[in-house]
Amino acid sequence: MEKSLLKKEALQKLIDGVREKGGRFVAPSILARQVVYREVDCADQMVHDYIVPRNSIKEFLFPQTEPILRFRLMREGVEVEDVRVEPERTVFFGVRPCDAASCGAVRKVFTWDYIDQFYTRREDSSVMMTIACTSSDDECFCTTVGVSPEGKEGADLLLKETVDGDYLVEAVTDRGRAFVEEFKDVFTEPDGAELKAVATPEPIEGVNIDNIIGFLKDRSHYNSEIWAELARKCVGCGACTFTCPTCRCFDMVDEGTYIEGERRKNWDSCQFDSFTLHASGHNPRDTQFKRWRNRFMCKFNFYPVKFSARGCVGCGRCIRVCPVRLDITEVMIEVSEAARDV
Amino acid sequence: MSNIYMPYLATIEDMFEEAPGVKTLNLVFKDPKVRESFEFKTGQFGLYSVFGYGESTFCIASPETRKGYIQCTFRRVGRVTTALSELSVGDTIGFRGPYGNWFPVEEWKGKNILFIAGGIGLPPVRSVIWTCLDRREDYGDVTMVYGARTVDDLVYKEELRHWEDRDDLTLIKTVDPGGEKEGWDGEVGFVPTVLEEAGPGAENTVCVICGPPVMIKFSLSVLERLGFRDDDVYTTLENKMKCGVGKCGRCNVGDVYICKEGPVYTAAQIKKMYNDF
Repeated sequence: MEKSLLKKEALQKLIDGVREKGGRFVAPSILARQVVYREVDCADQMVHDYIVPRNSIKEFLFPQTEPILRFRLMREGVEVEDVRVEPERTVFFGVRPCDAASCGAVRKVFTWDYIDQFYTRREDSSVMMTIACTSSDDECFCTTVGVSPEGKEGADLLLKETVDGDYLVEAVTDRGRAFVEEFKDVFTEPDGAELKAVATPEPIEGVNIDNIIGFLKDRSHYNSEIWAELARKCVGCGACTFTCPTCRCFDMVDEGTYIEGERRKNWDSCQFDSFTLHASGHNPRDTQFKRWRNRFMCKFNFYPVKFSARGCVGCGRCIRVCPVRLDITEVMIEVSEAARDV
Repeated sequence: MSNIYMPYLATIEDMFEEAPGVKTLNLVFKDPKVRESFEFKTGQFGLYSVFGYGESTFCIASPETRKGYIQCTFRRVGRVTTALSELSVGDTIGFRGPYGNWFPVEEWKGKNILFIAGGIGLPPVRSVIWTCLDRREDYGDVTMVYGARTVDDLVYKEELRHWEDRDDLTLIKTVDPGGEKEGWDGEVGFVPTVLEEAGPGAENTVCVICGPPVMIKFSLSVLERLGFRDDDVYTTLENKMKCGVGKCGRCNVGDVYICKEGPVYTAAQIKKMYNDF
């Protein structure tokens, strides 16, 4: 059955089914008056009228902080204990297509030669139930970067809302098909229900991604005056990087004492002035515009050119959370223009 | 190993005070299997950890030709290097590596080699020096120019004497003006100046250079005047690193991840990089 129907009333049964088997069910829900992806155990905790949750799903695959090893000082020397992730299955319900599309990019970095199993094991044991967007706001710009509000990229199952509030489910991957099969008493035959219209943001005028990539690839533009000008407002708070679904920079720190403790992998941000600061005092990215330029380069050069992946999925979170309203799409327009003028 | 961030455990078998604040550790892996199988290429680096304090990145300062142990030489500057320098013989540290690329010493067979180092830039070069000296017959003339701010700041003082005594290589040692003291038998002058005066020939010669950025910058112009091609001048780039395996997003110079695609580059390659140093 390639298409099926998930009735709104059946959601509780699905949540119960997933949880009974030891899994967790993550869905958009209200926390501190904001819509966020979080673990729910009850269908009543879920919200259905949302655009893009405040957080991305990356915190469930790449936690904000996680132990990578534990150590203890013994008489014979230090003993180190490996930490192996044995993740429970995570079902992501109501993931927006932009978020689902971001996983491929993060995975590319975490599997580039050395494989970070802390990430891959979690992603491999997840089921991505994407829901096509039926509303968007001024900050959404997925179509500008080539992501569709009803796109299947990264999805195991693509859901579309019906006018009755149910979901028409399309299996995209084998994992998705197996999931529907596993919970076949929850999914029913599609009855030809009428679908809600998909909300497609207008592509932003004046942005040409190929031109941006071309401009960034040309090393002579790295010292262009536009960077200092465009990034002048940035206060370096890092909010964009923490909410961005493809940002994945991290720090590794020891916590505890030399007698006992653990080494942790913690989210970090390339926007912080200490990020690249050498112990000697030298800092290759010593001013804010250089750090901002690095992030923009990462999105529109390193990810697409080096990793053949999407650096930006157009979710718009960085615009929504920026305290100084440094809008990345405005920079994209400026750079597209600069590229045309070359 | 499934956890790429798991270090090997190593015992500090010996430690030496090289210069004020600079120490060398002799490290032996605790696991006999690792001790047996561990191999690296000259120029590769590792992450050394003091548990409870964190990890720090240095090159492996010993040559690839010597098995059974590795050495690192570091200056005490930050939290981890301070903790490292306060350890004693017999203590355990962590080591991850070897990571990164290496100096193509195999390709240099039959060529002359010019080594240039400044201050704490000697440890990575020293790994190459000994790798080549241990296979001395494979190479032509070997010349070294090494300088430090003061006589006390020179590292590997005993090895410098040994190299001076050898007749199959030329060592020119120097200290910055004002850094000399009584009994100093070397040059007085900055490395680039001393290099230019010595004027080593560029023909059939590769150069390995490492030191403070300002020394490298001026030495590169001297090398150019001496006729060295950018393809024949090698250096190792140092950047802040955490993961060492291309994930954490810190060491990149533009699109180049130093930890994975470096740290060894030719001057020609560096000139093609984004200006992000």
